[in-house]
Amino acid sequence: MKNLNILLLIIFSVTCFNSHADDRNYAANKISAELLKNANVVKRFEEVKFEIINIGKAKLYHTVAITVLNEKGDKYVQYQQEYDKLHSIESIEGRLFDENGKKIKTLKKNDIQDLSGTSEASLADDNRVKQFNFYYKVYPYTVEYETEIKYNYTLFYPIWVPQEDEFYSVEYSKVSISCPSDIKFRYKTFNYPAQPVITDEKNNKVYSWEVKNLPAIEEEFASPYWFEITPVVSLAPVQFQVENYQGNMSTWQDFGKFVYALKDGRDQLPDNIKNVIHNITDGIADTRKKIEVLYDFFQKNTRYISIQLGIGGWQPFDAKYVASNRYGDCKALSNYMYSLLKEAGIKSFYTLVKAGVNSRFFMSDFPSSQFNHVILCVPVQKDTVWLECTSQTLPAGYLSSFTSDRNVLLVDENGGTLIRTPRYTLNQNLQVRKTVASIDSEGNLVADIITDYRALQQDNLHGLINGLSKDKVMEYLKNEIDLPNYDVVKFDYKEMKSALPVIKETLSVTANNYAQVSGSRLFVVPNLLSRSHNKLIANDTRKFDVQLNTEYKDIDSVEIKIPSGYQPEAMPPAMKIETKFGRYSSSVQVLADKIIYYRSMEQFRGRFPATAYNELVKFYEQIYKSDRSRVVLIKK
Amino acid sequence: MKLLTTSLSMAFFLCSITSIFAQEKSPVKFGKISPEEFNLSKYNFDTSVSAVVISDVGSSTFEGNNKGWFTLVFKHQKRIKILNKNGFEAANVEIPLYSDGTDEEKLDNLKAYTYNLENGNIIKTELESNAIFKDKLSKNLVNKKFTFPAVKEGSIIEYSYTVKSDFLFNLQPWTFQGDYPRIWSEYQASMPEFFVYVTLSQGYQPFHIKNESQGFCQYRVTVPGGVSTDEHYSLSGTTSDYRWVMKDVPSLKEEGFTSTLKNHIAKIEFQLSQYRFPNVPIKDIMGNWLTVNQKMLEREDFGLPINKSNNWLDDDMKPIVAGAVTNLEKAKNIYAFIRDNFTCTDYNDLYLNNPLKTVFKNKNGSVSDINLLLIAMLHHESIEAYPVILSTREHGFASDLYPLMNRFNYVIAEAKFNGSNVYLDASHPSLAFGRLPSECYNGYARVISKEPDVVDLSADSLREAKVTLVFIGNTEKGNIEGSFKTEPGYYESLSIREKIKAKGQAEFFKKIQSAYLSSLDITQPYIDSIKLPEQPLTIHYNFKMNDMGEDIIYFNPMMAEGYRNNFLKAAERKYPVEMPYTFDETYILTMEVPKNYTVEEIPKSAKVNFNGGEGYFEYMISKSEDQIQLRSRVIMKRTNFSSDEYNSLRDFFAYVVRKHSEQVVFKKKK
Repeated sequence: MKNLNILLLIIFSVTCFNSHADDRNYAANKISAELLKNANVVKRFEEVKFEIINIGKAKLYHTVAITVLNEKGDKYVQYQQEYDKLHSIESIEGRLFDENGKKIKTLKKNDIQDLSGTSEASLADDNRVKQFNFYYKVYPYTVEYETEIKYNYTLFYPIWVPQEDEFYSVEYSKVSISCPSDIKFRYKTFNYPAQPVITDEKNNKVYSWEVKNLPAIEEEFASPYWFEITPVVSLAPVQFQVENYQGNMSTWQDFGKFVYALKDGRDQLPDNIKNVIHNITDGIADTRKKIEVLYDFFQKNTRYISIQLGIGGWQPFDAKYVASNRYGDCKALSNYMYSLLKEAGIKSFYTLVKAGVNSRFFMSDFPSSQFNHVILCVPVQKDTVWLECTSQTLPAGYLSSFTSDRNVLLVDENGGTLIRTPRYTLNQNLQVRKTVASIDSEGNLVADIITDYRALQQDNLHGLINGLSKDKVMEYLKNEIDLPNYDVVKFDYKEMKSALPVIKETLSVTANNYAQVSGSRLFVVPNLLSRSHNKLIANDTRKFDVQLNTEYKDIDSVEIKIPSGYQPEAMPPAMKIETKFGRYSSSVQVLADKIIYYRSMEQFRGRFPATAYNELVKFYEQIYKSDRSRVVLIKK
Repeated sequence: MKLLTTSLSMAFFLCSITSIFAQEKSPVKFGKISPEEFNLSKYNFDTSVSAVVISDVGSSTFEGNNKGWFTLVFKHQKRIKILNKNGFEAANVEIPLYSDGTDEEKLDNLKAYTYNLENGNIIKTELESNAIFKDKLSKNLVNKKFTFPAVKEGSIIEYSYTVKSDFLFNLQPWTFQGDYPRIWSEYQASMPEFFVYVTLSQGYQPFHIKNESQGFCQYRVTVPGGVSTDEHYSLSGTTSDYRWVMKDVPSLKEEGFTSTLKNHIAKIEFQLSQYRFPNVPIKDIMGNWLTVNQKMLEREDFGLPINKSNNWLDDDMKPIVAGAVTNLEKAKNIYAFIRDNFTCTDYNDLYLNNPLKTVFKNKNGSVSDINLLLIAMLHHESIEAYPVILSTREHGFASDLYPLMNRFNYVIAEAKFNGSNVYLDASHPSLAFGRLPSECYNGYARVISKEPDVVDLSADSLREAKVTLVFIGNTEKGNIEGSFKTEPGYYESLSIREKIKAKGQAEFFKKIQSAYLSSLDITQPYIDSIKLPEQPLTIHYNFKMNDMGEDIIYFNPMMAEGYRNNFLKAAERKYPVEMPYTFDETYILTMEVPKNYTVEEIPKSAKVNFNGGEGYFEYMISKSEDQIQLRSRVIMKRTNFSSDEYNSLRDFFAYVVRKHSEQVVFKKKK
């Protein structure tokens, strides 16, 4: 889908009618000490005014003035505004003020760059960007912009996030929405206890929210989502319009009806494809098997290409188009797969999702367009098969960290239903590694390492082995393994595709001088490849809860044959740590001519109070050390 | 266009160059394909790749146009077999078209087909014209984009198109080597005697065919008459017809310590050098360094404005040079003023984009805007200074033979003080007076002045010297504590300054702390001269070592300063290793033996030479009753190494890594 969360990403852009820049004093010495603390920038003034004209049109006026205190703040005053067929930039004004609040420069039209906004991932769309920068370097300075944007559609109302980032304080910011009496809208607030102020302006009702003096926030390791720690007001329509399509989003069901209308009737397949479908599926009785056969056919005959022009940002190309070109974006491909299943007599749901590894924050009680991707949901007796239609390689039924464990909107002719995609649990995200190695008296290591990666633990590797040619995978392995002076002799990957996919990796590795030889001693770290890299610094004044989002389990067993004539001088102690964040154990023994090492690590997911943070630091520190501890052998 | 003399002739024929050579041809005929061609086993290429270019054939010819001049006609045909999904990218094609506001390059006859072998039959799918998209990248550049329809694993795709261009300086270059291996790569060019081009070729691949022959051609040129009738001319002359072919060209992979692959890929390119029309004196277009130097001096956007009096600077200059007496002091003030107040928006530029006055007022501009302003301000104070043009490392080598301006992308200043030269670049906020970014050290550079000169900016002339001192001793409380002090080389200091600017000092020391394998508490960290780019940087901190109570202590005397990994990883290398500077790194540790411990074992001392002293490594360690002393020194006096020297260079660093991992063993007294 198009940049549905466009407004979350850009500085949103709007104006005020009544107050003018000249009235406001931007002298830096007016900023209170409280706001200067920990800040790179101070938002001095902001007014966002969203004016609804009718169901299909709106205007956004944005005025914002930001004082930049140091180099790190420069990026916040670069003007960058996307536009496309559905929104146009009506006017841009910009002013630069020095430390004393004296205006020293005004933006000139000719200085605004107009650039293509088409990303590399996209073949064609109508995204463009206007960009401007004062490039001032004498700190502190203040930049003020006023923008007016015309919305020729109303799928999105603004989301007001006055504090846009960490190290960013806010002196004053206000958002208001003005609408004719016959048009309704909805809102949801976060960290904003007060009610909106409601006033009348001509025939319109105006709702407004404002904040004053928000001190800068510093994010901490594993902080909660931004919306949980700073004021936000999210606005959304009841009725809305995109080109010739009208919709209502007061319930998920209604919003689903709009989505369905955009794709309705786009499932007609050409006869040759219908024939293929019947040929390959008619003899199969089991529905699940049928889905797998069709998905395999689909994956072999399509690829992802993004072409999104105008309404094409929300409406899929029809199935015929995909059949003949063998490409499409997530909407077109999902709709095509939906059509293939339908022809085989299997009902599926076109499903909207907010995809992204770290994009699980979702306002489920606030129906609105929060999605950026489409997948398919195929209910089968006692089970559900999920299909990611932009991948030619994922197994049927598996959703990676890109779309798993979150709210999604199933769409059919009756509208939308919100449900959750599966969560992959600690025991499912399993990595089991067996290492058999030997070292010679020079310290050179030869090792065979067999690792099974399951579920979310195999996601990166899946992308790697399917996304790179064999020589590039070799190159990657030769660079990325955390061993000194090593070489990869050979490697092999086997994918066992299922709803809980496993990748079996077989590596043969040599590492010269892996064990350090110092005179009569040999130093060996028995944990070859499963070393933790988490190292945190203790913090006695942590503010926020600790939010740990991933859960997994690693099990390692290592056997290292040592050269004859050596005996242990020092051994790392066995470790067993149990905390609320996870469990860790490791042990090492020398038996005859072998070092035997076991390690088990379980990382829990959860939310923990800030006061627990130093325990987490200690937990990781113990693991970090234990993972690197050495067996010392001495020559007899 | 009054160059053309009479001799009106009705004869008009196309000049074709393909018929001239009745020799070995590309294995491919556009639009013709048989099922056998899906089998590539007869060809020789690296089978681990995801797509193969079966044939890539281009030609450039000239034709007369109706603007009284000539048009370049570039024809291109390419056939690719997609072996697996990763090769789908090869199905996305972009064709850049240039325009200068009046004339624009035109794309004609774009045809593209996908062939799939299904049950022994070839299914052909054609690209539809509405699936060709346009992306306007800038005022002067439009990309035409398309992707092939019906692509799957095993598809063969091919396309052909013609680009017509009135920009005769844009005679298309040809790259024989690319992301995918190429079985056949061929380029032909037919240049009429009226236009003389200089040909430049590079790379390590041999030509399979390299031919030059004479042809004959007639060109019909129409001079628009405006209100009167158009005039038609026919012009005939000989042509130089070239044909270059490479076979079985492997793809080239980028590895570490490479300035740019641009210097190494097999490529041929052309530069317009002269017009030679009949009965008209030869017109020199490219010129030589002397004429080009003169033209640069006369350009409104280069030499002219910096050599004017620029009186508009009078008032602004006063506070900048206030208090400065000598020229050197004045220059330092001017340099610091620009560096600290201006933002560079483009590090690839050769000319002024705005008048100097505007650059001064806007406080931003490209590297050429900023450094030309610097020169103008130096001139204002009667300080001798000249612009120097160069090509940065990433941009590839400049040519010393021909004045090819597109090979240059950067301007710096040369200033003279008491007869000695100082090179200045005011476009980087952390750079010191008299220092250049290491990117500038790419060999050949030109001083643009009335007495033109050449400068060799060689990476070999840069020396990064780093000294690190560590003291460790016993405290009264029985702890083991130490102090760490390092003076990094200039470029490392620069990068530290930039890191601290971006992330802050606390973050910098956090990184240092987490680099230690054993537990260590850092106290009193400080850095000298972060904000004084002219001064060397010194990093200092104290530390307390934890976990020192065991019966046996194993301790790496290099602390976290040793070479942990060999940065030359690849087993083999096909092109030179290019390092940014030479270096000399010294590390000295003095350590008191922990109280109640004895030294059980120390590593052996060692000295190693690389290539007759061009590289040197020593690891000298000694112990006494109560002290350990270590001196490690790594020296590299050269920056460029040929692929033949690669293995011994890699071994040298592997040895350093090994020595640096060795341990001292202390044993508790019983």
